[in-house]
Amino acid sequence: MAFRVRSIAPYLALLILWEVVGRLDLVAVGALPALSEIIARFWVDRADYPRHVLATLQASSAGFVIGNIIAVLAGVLFVLLPVTARMARGLNIAIFALPPIAIAPILALTLEGMTPRIVLAALGVYFVTMQATVTGLSQYDSRAADLVRAYGGGGRAVMRFVQIRGAIPAILSGFRVAAPNAVLGAILAEFGGGGRWGLGAYLLGSLGRGEPDRLWGIGLTATLIAGLSYALFAALSARMLGASRSVTLNPAAPPAPAAGGGVWIGVVSFLLPFALWWGLLLALNVPGMIGKTPVDVFAYLFLSEGSAAAQGKLLLALGETLPITALGLVAGLAFAFGLAVTSQLAPSFTRAFLPVALVTQTMPLVALTPLLVLILGRGSAVTLWITISVTFFPAYVMITQGLSQVPRSVLELPRAYGATVWRELRLVAIPASLPWVFAAIRTTVPRALLGVMIAEWLATGRGLGNLMNQSRGYMDFSMIWTVAVVSVLLSVAFYRIAQITEDRVLRRSGHP
Amino acid sequence: MTAPAGITLTGLCKTFAGQGGSVEALRDVSLNCPPGSFTALIGPSGCGKSTILRAALGLEPLDAGSVLIGGQAPAIATRAGITGVAFQDSALLPWRTVAQNVALPLEVLGRSLGPAQGRIRDLIALVGLKGREDALPGELSGGMRQRVAIARALVSEPRVLFLDEPFGALDQILRRQMNVELQRIWLETGVTTLLVTHGIDEAVFLADRIAIMQAGPGRIVEVLDSPFARPRLPSLFAAPEFHHLCDHIAGVLHGV
Repeated sequence: MAFRVRSIAPYLALLILWEVVGRLDLVAVGALPALSEIIARFWVDRADYPRHVLATLQASSAGFVIGNIIAVLAGVLFVLLPVTARMARGLNIAIFALPPIAIAPILALTLEGMTPRIVLAALGVYFVTMQATVTGLSQYDSRAADLVRAYGGGGRAVMRFVQIRGAIPAILSGFRVAAPNAVLGAILAEFGGGGRWGLGAYLLGSLGRGEPDRLWGIGLTATLIAGLSYALFAALSARMLGASRSVTLNPAAPPAPAAGGGVWIGVVSFLLPFALWWGLLLALNVPGMIGKTPVDVFAYLFLSEGSAAAQGKLLLALGETLPITALGLVAGLAFAFGLAVTSQLAPSFTRAFLPVALVTQTMPLVALTPLLVLILGRGSAVTLWITISVTFFPAYVMITQGLSQVPRSVLELPRAYGATVWRELRLVAIPASLPWVFAAIRTTVPRALLGVMIAEWLATGRGLGNLMNQSRGYMDFSMIWTVAVVSVLLSVAFYRIAQITEDRVLRRSGHP
Repeated sequence: MTAPAGITLTGLCKTFAGQGGSVEALRDVSLNCPPGSFTALIGPSGCGKSTILRAALGLEPLDAGSVLIGGQAPAIATRAGITGVAFQDSALLPWRTVAQNVALPLEVLGRSLGPAQGRIRDLIALVGLKGREDALPGELSGGMRQRVAIARALVSEPRVLFLDEPFGALDQILRRQMNVELQRIWLETGVTTLLVTHGIDEAVFLADRIAIMQAGPGRIVEVLDSPFARPRLPSLFAAPEFHHLCDHIAGVLHGV
């Protein structure tokens, strides 16, 4: 009983502090209302919520289900037929790296009704789950696979008996990260696409009125939805992980699929996203005025009369966006790694801190941003803070997972020689989690760009996000498409740089 | 149990290309294991004995040479369920219970589990794990897991049994117990067995014939008989003639 009091004491203190600060309007002239005020306002607004929440839930769960089904099937296909993985590589990276906020306006222009929201939620889910599926399926126990092969089992038998069940914890942890993504995607689409119902629409409608208590109510509701979806899959994967962890450490890694495959696969991989872009425009019969093809965008940026002006605007925006992205990224990653490592050293600290971190982290960015803007103002601080928080969450999840998969016996070996916890970390935990650290870097790079763009769009009035929002206001369709394409290309470039670095470092440190 | 089948290895060659140059793992290795025999393959770590076993199961492609199991190529023999195998690591699937792990080969071979339930239970009892059928591997000790692997190797009623240092990770006491157990199982089933080991006493105690390997390149340097009458009792471990044979093998292994 004493333990329970001690473990909830920090939260109680935090709540009391919040209440006092809120009641006295200490933060930015009432930008942070007291919890009781927020709840009171929630009660006043209670009739509004059900339809907004329902709309967001419908879109995000439809997107979650559709995106995950496609993702798992794609992951299985990529592992069974590595050539398909290489061909779809460009498409996968593009889907992963595209900042949802950049294509939300495009989706709203070209699709109707709930479809943009569902598509954006599904896109937010796809890559995380696909990647988790591929990772889970490829990091199987090669000894168990040998056994299946020794009874004449082929690739399919290994897939059936060893890989699929072994991949379930990884896939569930993918779902865990994907669930808040779906909510984020749906809300972002509501932002960019208008529409009457949905938490995003509600938030946007309330943003101009400057009512902090209502904004907080909406933000906390969105957070609760995302947090619950995360918690559901966290609980599921915790249950599964216990049973599937190998009892001994396998020294041999599964064979890597053969690389190479010729130039034409690279060409297909590069062209596929563009072909899909063009093909969808044709299939949906989008008018040329609104839907721009790759050739249109190129012509606008380089061949048309106004191309110099367009380039100027774009470069100015890039100069504002890039430095702050890099800074936020580094800070967020450092924070995640520090916390993941601390969770190994001081589990009790993590237990106390994690829920607090989780609340701020599962808070969909679009809900978080207005609140942070209220508190921090419209300067660079808000951009930086948002970038850090966007980067931190997935990085922390991945690194912790990496550390938790190191077998007990391996962790205990240095301890048996009297190693201090720090040395133990340095010798075993950190090297063993290195692949996950890099996976985290790759994953978070594009998210950092997304964070910056959302902040720019909603708050600071600078950079790529702002350019996108402005162009939307001017109905400058060419510029909307151009910003979308440039931000996707930028994200892809970031991703590739991180990946190439990862390959180099891992090869040098003996990882296959 | 169907009639045992023989193993014929002819002229196996294998070279691994690695970053630190290539390693000739096997050079012209030939070995014949008649049906119903128990052959031990002994040699220092890294002499290629596990590679031979993996090649015999079709898990490792060869540069040259042929493997015949009961007159058939490994791919055909394994798919027909003629072979059983236990590796150095138990390689149990951590999410399957003991009984489900034992049943795995049957599932891979596409046989129905229904009629096999009795045999699965008998095998688990045979390796001394009666009552632990529904335990998960994580709840068992290392020795228990290894015994599950032995039961699993026998579940398909194999005519040829490949054992790759199956007791390598066990302590000496448990290892001797398992040796006695394995002999009993072998006498009951009469299955042709190829045992890879680096334990000299284990090889002498269990095998009819012992093939001694040396490394660099991996090759068989001598094949000799272990002439002791069956069933061999644990007291054999203390017999002078047993030690005499062990010392001889140690001499060959060290190139004396």
